[in-house]
Amino acid sequence: MKPNKGKPFTRARDYVYKFSAGNEHLVLTVPLKFPVQENISHLHGRLMVLHNLPCFIENDLKQSLSKFVEEETIKDYDREAEAALEAVKSGKVDINQLADTWAKAYRETTLEHAKPEETSWDEDFADVYHDLIHSPASEMLLNLEHNYFVSISELISERDVELKKLRERQGAEMDKVMRELGKSLTDQDVNSLAAQHFESQQDLENKWTNELKQTTAIQKQEYQEWVIKLHQDLKNPNNSSVSDEIKVQPSQLRESVEGNGRIYEEQRLLEESFTIHLGAQLKTMHNLRLLRADMLDFCKHKRNQRSGVKLHRLQTAMSLYSTSLCGMVLLVDNRISSYSGIKRDFATVCQECTDFHFPGIQEQLEIVQKVVLKARAQRSSKTKRHHENKISGNEDKLKNIERNQSNILPGEFYITRHSNLSEIHVAFHLCVDDNVRSVSVTARDPAIMGLRNILKVCCTHDITTISIPLLLVHEMSEEMTIPWCLKRAELVFKCVKGFMMEMASWDGGISRTVQFLVPQTISEEMFYQLSNMLPQIFRVSSTLTLTSKH
Amino acid sequence: MFPLKDTVMGASTFFASALPHDVCGSNGLPLTPNSIKILGRFQILKTITHPRLCQYVDITRGKHERLVVAAEHCEKSLEDLLRERKPVSSSRILCIAYEVLQGLQYMNKHGMVHRALSPCNILLDRKGHVKLAKFGLYHMTAQGVDVDFPIGYPSYLAPEVIAQGIGKPNDHTQCEKPLPSGPKSDVWSLGVILFELCMGRKLFQSLEIAERLKFILMLGCVDDIVTVLAEEHGCLDIIKDLSENIIALLKKCLTFQPSKRPTPEELLHDSLFSEVSSLYPPFHKPAGLFSSSPRCANLTLPEDISQLCKDEDNDFLAERSIEEVYYLWCLAGGDLEKELVNKEIIRSKPPVCTLPNFLLEDGESFGQGRDRSSLLDDTTVTLSLCQLRNRLKDVGGEAFYPLLEDDQPALPHSNSGNELSAAATLPLIIRERDTEYQLNRIVLFDRLLKAYPYKKNQIWKEARVDIPPLLRGITWAALLGVEGAIEAKYDAIDKDTPIPTDRQIEVDIPRCHQYDELLSSPEGHAKFRRVLKAWVVSHPNLVLLCFCLCHCIVFLILSALAYACMSAFIPKYLYNFFLKDNSHVIQEYLTVFSQMIAFHDPELSNHLNEIGFIPDVSAKDVFPLHKIFHLWDTLLLGNSSFPFCIGVAILQQLRDRLLANGFNECILLFSDLPEIDIERCVRESINLFRWTPKSATYRQYAQPPRQAPDSNGARSSMSSFAADYQEAPRSDLSRDSINLDDLKAEVSPRISAEDLIDLCELTGPSHSKTPVKKTKPSKPKLLVVDIRNSEDFNRGHISGSINVPFTSAFTPEGDLIQCPATATLQSFKGRVVVIVGNAVKNTAAFAAHLVKNKYPRVCILDGGINKIKPTGLLTVPSPQI
Repeated sequence: MKPNKGKPFTRARDYVYKFSAGNEHLVLTVPLKFPVQENISHLHGRLMVLHNLPCFIENDLKQSLSKFVEEETIKDYDREAEAALEAVKSGKVDINQLADTWAKAYRETTLEHAKPEETSWDEDFADVYHDLIHSPASEMLLNLEHNYFVSISELISERDVELKKLRERQGAEMDKVMRELGKSLTDQDVNSLAAQHFESQQDLENKWTNELKQTTAIQKQEYQEWVIKLHQDLKNPNNSSVSDEIKVQPSQLRESVEGNGRIYEEQRLLEESFTIHLGAQLKTMHNLRLLRADMLDFCKHKRNQRSGVKLHRLQTAMSLYSTSLCGMVLLVDNRISSYSGIKRDFATVCQECTDFHFPGIQEQLEIVQKVVLKARAQRSSKTKRHHENKISGNEDKLKNIERNQSNILPGEFYITRHSNLSEIHVAFHLCVDDNVRSVSVTARDPAIMGLRNILKVCCTHDITTISIPLLLVHEMSEEMTIPWCLKRAELVFKCVKGFMMEMASWDGGISRTVQFLVPQTISEEMFYQLSNMLPQIFRVSSTLTLTSKH
Repeated sequence: MFPLKDTVMGASTFFASALPHDVCGSNGLPLTPNSIKILGRFQILKTITHPRLCQYVDITRGKHERLVVAAEHCEKSLEDLLRERKPVSSSRILCIAYEVLQGLQYMNKHGMVHRALSPCNILLDRKGHVKLAKFGLYHMTAQGVDVDFPIGYPSYLAPEVIAQGIGKPNDHTQCEKPLPSGPKSDVWSLGVILFELCMGRKLFQSLEIAERLKFILMLGCVDDIVTVLAEEHGCLDIIKDLSENIIALLKKCLTFQPSKRPTPEELLHDSLFSEVSSLYPPFHKPAGLFSSSPRCANLTLPEDISQLCKDEDNDFLAERSIEEVYYLWCLAGGDLEKELVNKEIIRSKPPVCTLPNFLLEDGESFGQGRDRSSLLDDTTVTLSLCQLRNRLKDVGGEAFYPLLEDDQPALPHSNSGNELSAAATLPLIIRERDTEYQLNRIVLFDRLLKAYPYKKNQIWKEARVDIPPLLRGITWAALLGVEGAIEAKYDAIDKDTPIPTDRQIEVDIPRCHQYDELLSSPEGHAKFRRVLKAWVVSHPNLVLLCFCLCHCIVFLILSALAYACMSAFIPKYLYNFFLKDNSHVIQEYLTVFSQMIAFHDPELSNHLNEIGFIPDVSAKDVFPLHKIFHLWDTLLLGNSSFPFCIGVAILQQLRDRLLANGFNECILLFSDLPEIDIERCVRESINLFRWTPKSATYRQYAQPPRQAPDSNGARSSMSSFAADYQEAPRSDLSRDSINLDDLKAEVSPRISAEDLIDLCELTGPSHSKTPVKKTKPSKPKLLVVDIRNSEDFNRGHISGSINVPFTSAFTPEGDLIQCPATATLQSFKGRVVVIVGNAVKNTAAFAAHLVKNKYPRVCILDGGINKIKPTGLLTVPSPQI
């Protein structure tokens, strides 16, 4: 049971105690293992009982025993110490390397010896923002953010209109050409026109992308400067030029927004909440929610419902630098990009609004790509080292990685941070493959293990609300039958329950909210089947019945 | 523990190293977090008390493996002395050296090494005496294994410590544990510190860490380390002026070869200190409550007693022990972590900024910089007592020194007395959080316990009010009547030899109350195992039950006296429960229990019988610990039948839901026992207890009365509440034991004739030996129902009883037939009903019918009317009735 690594010096020695009773001379020999782990007085008591020793030697034996142990222990210490010193002296251990390891340890772990902190812009800004958002100035901040948001969305709608116009024009042109096809024009002409169209489309898109990028950059810089300035102003309120400047804006804002019609239609949300207890003896309480909704609903800003939106925004902004973050899990394929599927949708949502705190989504993805490459390099060098020692057999996997270093594997995930989404701060992009569509997903599946790691990160980084796609898919398809759904839901519920129990031991049982999302296309009946299943798996906390005193 | 005096309390923090990803222990369970391991090891440090060591008080676990340690602290340290940049006088240096060595020697005796000796860790109290701080860091971190940072300061590391290197904490797969350092490495550090004091300046300040360490290692090649060091720092002339004593001391300390360097112990007895040592009287550990030596052995009173009262300085709080002050500080709103945050020792980055970018499937994370806030900052922050003193400024001196002699006032009559008596009526939970109230209780209990066992009576009396949580462990021991040199007895038990129950213990320990930080630490497990084994070994005829563990735990967490308490508790409440063949004992126990349910709550009982669900008394195991404590406070005060009442009280709280559910739901309900209001439970169980005739819970296999009842006044003066039925003298009227099968067949409990007489307050010539307690308001009023036929009844009956002949009492459906007698019976519903008859079978059946009809508190007279006959209490009614 005991770890025997790191204890290379266990020696057995005999403790000899001589005493005489009457004319008899007796010798007591006790084999002892050094370093002695057990309590000496316990050992002493045990000897007395075991060997049936007379009580008149009790005190003497105790003294001599503890003296013996003490002396031998000191001798051991000395011997080891001198061996170490000798090793240094004889050059067996490199003195420079030794000193460097020590110095490194001190530098990396103690504040006293660590390098002075380079003040990073991010953290300063974080502090400033956190202060401001928890002050009366939060209203201003939100208004400003909203202004920027509106101007971006105006830009986007302008872009969409222009693109649409272009497409219409091109369509008309194309129609005309098609009509002429075979008469005055050849296939080649059509092809060249198509190419021309495509090019001009690309040009236009690029132009708009650039413009958006520029605007965003400008906004971000303005915003950050303004925030810092506001903070300084609030500190010394004599020259509060900025706050005046901003006070005018709310009314303007309201007018400008009123015009925007409903863009996102409210779909009928199905939702059910549960309060559960985890743990056998000491229970921790958590909230679970089952929702029929789209993942991206948590990201999109809804432009209607003015007051509610504002509260949401305020809530998200206030908790951004706090210790209760909100996260969600997106299921992505093995490429780190934003070209297709949910990745593109997510990126689009992200770009609808400038992120004033973190780099844009594209930038973050680029960083992730670099980190992945670095991680792979580090990993492969380690495995190679490992392979030299013992040839183990997961070469398949190794080859797989080598095939395309920048791709990620199922179960791995990358994390992006956002300040501009409506209810989310952190997005976990969990890589899954086609295997998740099959029936045979088990608790050992990489996707499930990925979920576990996600929950672990939630634990270490204070993400207290997390949204998980319950069926491990974002869209329903043909093969996902009712039994498939039930089986999958049961698996995820059970695994998440297990992971939450584990989490409770890591962080001392902080109350969390876990939201399970099912795709919009699922039937109402199915939803209620799932919501019936949940209390069977999790133990729903029993209601506290209030009774009058007898 | 020593009084706080003029020292203060300090808090410091560090991080335990995080565990590697997904590594399991050898038993397949997840590894214990390092912080919990440290927490377990810390416990022993609390018991180490020495005037030269800073007393450790508490450790708390924060988020993300942070640990905060609270300990005694002084504002000044040798660092301040060095800052004056003046050489310190030789005599002062000798004193400092001697005092430090005293501390070190005491530590070594307990198998600990300081390792982090430095001027900032050698504190000076107001009188200029030394106190070593952070002395337990090396021990609690398992020689530095459980933390990432190296323990010790580069300038003061002994050469062998440097040579042995450090493990590589960054690489978990091949973490080499550094070799542990011995006591002699502290002597080197002391040498360097003394040298600095002599010079009045710090050494190696101009060198980089790596250079410094190399320099220390190179000292092995020179002959005279002291001279070389002096030369290096350009203070040879100071060295020349030093007295020979000091030079010799420095040379001894700064011996390069560990084998030639003296240990603290040896150095302490060196002739160098011959002048100084006489100034310091040898230190005696104050004898504890249960030690083998007399507690007053080392007590010396000054010649003039009045000197004791001379202390005009009215700081009573400072006279309390640091543990109490800390406890009160916490009650007054103190929060260790908040203090550290205020002083900016704990600075945390917003978590959103420290997220990693990418995680592999095995959980390894990438792209996150090292968090600067996790670096070690070993500054100790002084905990301000202002808030506490403010809270207590109205508390007079009388509160700190209550008089114990007069038995009357439970609370001192100070100016805050009214407030206190008001506080005493508040719910227990509020009382436990009330600073002034707790101060009073702690002081009172502390004094009472010091006078234990002489003041045993008063401890009982006060414990019935409440027990202060801080002194709970030792108070329980006192309540259980633990006496004598328990520690010595415990030491003498063989706890290491393998025995057959080892396996069971091994399996059960990791299952019990593992959410508790203390119990889940390896140290806690080891202690738990030792106590259990000690208990098993010393009671060879008993076997271990899983639920015995849970009892043990309750004691374990509170005190080191767990073993003694266990030994005292088990015989009292669960006598023979753990016999090898214990089925009949348990059967009886459970039967009596279900009879008790029937007695108090017939409806519930009917329902339970219907669904065949037998609640287990041990259901109370599933409560979280903090709730159990209050229950136990009361349990220990009651007698052996009290657990029944608690069981019933718990069931009553769940009554509504039990009634609504079937068997399976009931099992579920118990397996996740819902919220139970423990205080209400306690209140109700006491109430139930009052209503229960003492003999109703008679058990054949309960502990027999003590052969020699100790008539020292303690026992006899306890109220009937605490006295056991079995301890009362036996007479013909007492209950006879009955067969288990018969017992099981009966629904209602039996009571003895003695109790009946007692309850009816019958007086007669023949039973003068029954102690009649008259006019006690809590005594239940009862109705005796005679079910013999009317001829027998007329021939003689118990006065006040009514006659309902068994044969004509019930309809075939089991309902009562209406008649004047049954009407009386109905009007008495709710009181105790005693069924008296000739044949046992009839009485039992009658009782069963009554219970079916939801009559509460039905019991049977044991032995029937024949038992009463000889007493001459039967009266013959006048013919007109």
